[in-house]
Amino acid sequence: MNLAPYMAYFKKSFLNRSAYRFDHIMSIFSNCLRMFIFWEIYKALYGGRQEIDGVTMSMVTTNFVLSMGLDAVFYINDYFLPDKIGNGSITTELLRPMSFKGRMIAENMGNAVFNLLFRFAPAFVVACLLIGILPPASPLMLVLFVVSAVLGYGVLWTISFAVQMTAFWLLNVWSMTTIKNVFVNVLSGTMIPLWFMPDWMEGVLKFTPFSSIYFTPIQIYLGQLEPGEIAIKCAIQLLWIGVIYVVGDILWKCGQKKLVVQGG
Amino acid sequence: MSLIEVNNISKSYRINKRPKGIPGMLANLFVPKYEMRQAVKEVSFQIEKGDMVGFIGPNGAGKSTTIKMLSGILYPDKGEIKVNGYVPYKQRKEYVGSIGVVFGQKSQLQWDLPVIDSFELLKAIYRIPEEKYRKNLDRFVQMLDMGNFLQQPVRQLSLGQRMRADIVAALLHSPEIVFFDEPTIGVDVVGKETIRNFIKELNAEDEVTMLFTTHDMQDIEKVCEKLIVIDKGEKIYDGSLLGIREKYGTTRQLDVEFAGIEHIAPIANVEMVELDELDGRKKRFVFENKQVQINDLMNFLLQNYRVRDISISEPEIEGIIRKIYNGEVITT
Repeated sequence: MNLAPYMAYFKKSFLNRSAYRFDHIMSIFSNCLRMFIFWEIYKALYGGRQEIDGVTMSMVTTNFVLSMGLDAVFYINDYFLPDKIGNGSITTELLRPMSFKGRMIAENMGNAVFNLLFRFAPAFVVACLLIGILPPASPLMLVLFVVSAVLGYGVLWTISFAVQMTAFWLLNVWSMTTIKNVFVNVLSGTMIPLWFMPDWMEGVLKFTPFSSIYFTPIQIYLGQLEPGEIAIKCAIQLLWIGVIYVVGDILWKCGQKKLVVQGG
Repeated sequence: MSLIEVNNISKSYRINKRPKGIPGMLANLFVPKYEMRQAVKEVSFQIEKGDMVGFIGPNGAGKSTTIKMLSGILYPDKGEIKVNGYVPYKQRKEYVGSIGVVFGQKSQLQWDLPVIDSFELLKAIYRIPEEKYRKNLDRFVQMLDMGNFLQQPVRQLSLGQRMRADIVAALLHSPEIVFFDEPTIGVDVVGKETIRNFIKELNAEDEVTMLFTTHDMQDIEKVCEKLIVIDKGEKIYDGSLLGIREKYGTTRQLDVEFAGIEHIAPIANVEMVELDELDGRKKRFVFENKQVQINDLMNFLLQNYRVRDISISEPEIEGIIRKIYNGEVITT
């Protein structure tokens, strides 16, 4: 497979993002602001105590700084396919001698790299200087954190991919996307660390893909997992990527047969 | 074996029938009603390499749907398509590299970027070698006179300019087959002429096989040799442009300008004449070629009335097509 066409789309989406300078300065600002708000909330909740249920304030801080940082990098356009079906430009997309899914990944990667450099990095530096987060448990754990974060992105991407494919039938997927986002935000531990979830909830979450997105890499970063557990958790991430991708791909194949081109 | 083989393809859509107003909306919410509409009904045709085929029919006849099935975007419900050895909808990725498609109503250019940037992106997507890209671009830009707006963002182009840019975009990778879906829609007279000449030249010089839909019969008359007519999803004519004239263009018309205001009495012996009043002094006689001798009619008029001017014209393709659409001509 020749990667040149995909690289062209990667580059295009990267460059498109840099076209709106004011927007991206403001988004760095909003990321910092979000972190400070969470920091203030948790300071108030902890009320000067060192730890609650064995979870220290600095663990919580590290959790939300990292998961919000990853969240900024992982930003995925949930309306990539729905918009193209909605305005009929899916026709031109399908005329390209390349895989539509590959093109979708390429554009998202262009965005992710842009976000990593220009949204995550500045906000992370600000957070480190002003709020202070725990260092990684060891250099090895940092490397494994990166590996697991990439897999986490894979899980989030396949979820978005599968949800987007419903656009072939529903045409308007706003509600589907919103439901998905609520699940991801609440159950992945971005807002409330999963340490604070009641036991029964944790039991349920084990069987969903959500904790694989942000929480697994962060647990690795903090050194909370034994080597064996790391292997199992990463395998679970891979498993989710595989399972959700297959579901999405079946929808994609059926959807193409169902495709209705809007507007003549 | 022909380059393009279409065998009995059918395609239908499910359409939501919604009663009007708020009660209708509520009823639709709980018990939606659907209706199947057949866009294409068992259509078959063949196109040979190097052919230039006009594909026409009234609005909603199924032209665009057929083009979309031919270009691998839509799956036919039934039937088979084979183009250049590929089954378009099954081998889409491999197939679409060898075709070019222009949708007059949809641009494939990047809205915010200069035209040339879109071309560069296409160069990467189709992996066009630098030399071929240069050669094609220079040639097309010169032929379509596009030099002065290559650097402008697409959103600032006029419709005619955008259409020319879209045509070039579809042809940069030297496709062997090109589908045009209304390539002259909304373009002015000069622009249309430029586009037609370009299409003709490309067909003649590079032997590019072309199929194109239009509502402008001038396009057909000036560009196409073959014609496929479909209506309500069914093929009703498939043959040469000359053939359609011979087969259905059996009427002629005689435009006569009289010296004064005349009332034409029923014409003796010539019943098959239709009379149109253009204005007081000008009248148009339309008659069946086989049933009326033109000499008889002219003699009759010249003998009985004071005639200032007289002219005979062959049926226009547009008139014939209009009759076919209206069902006035029975096609087989």
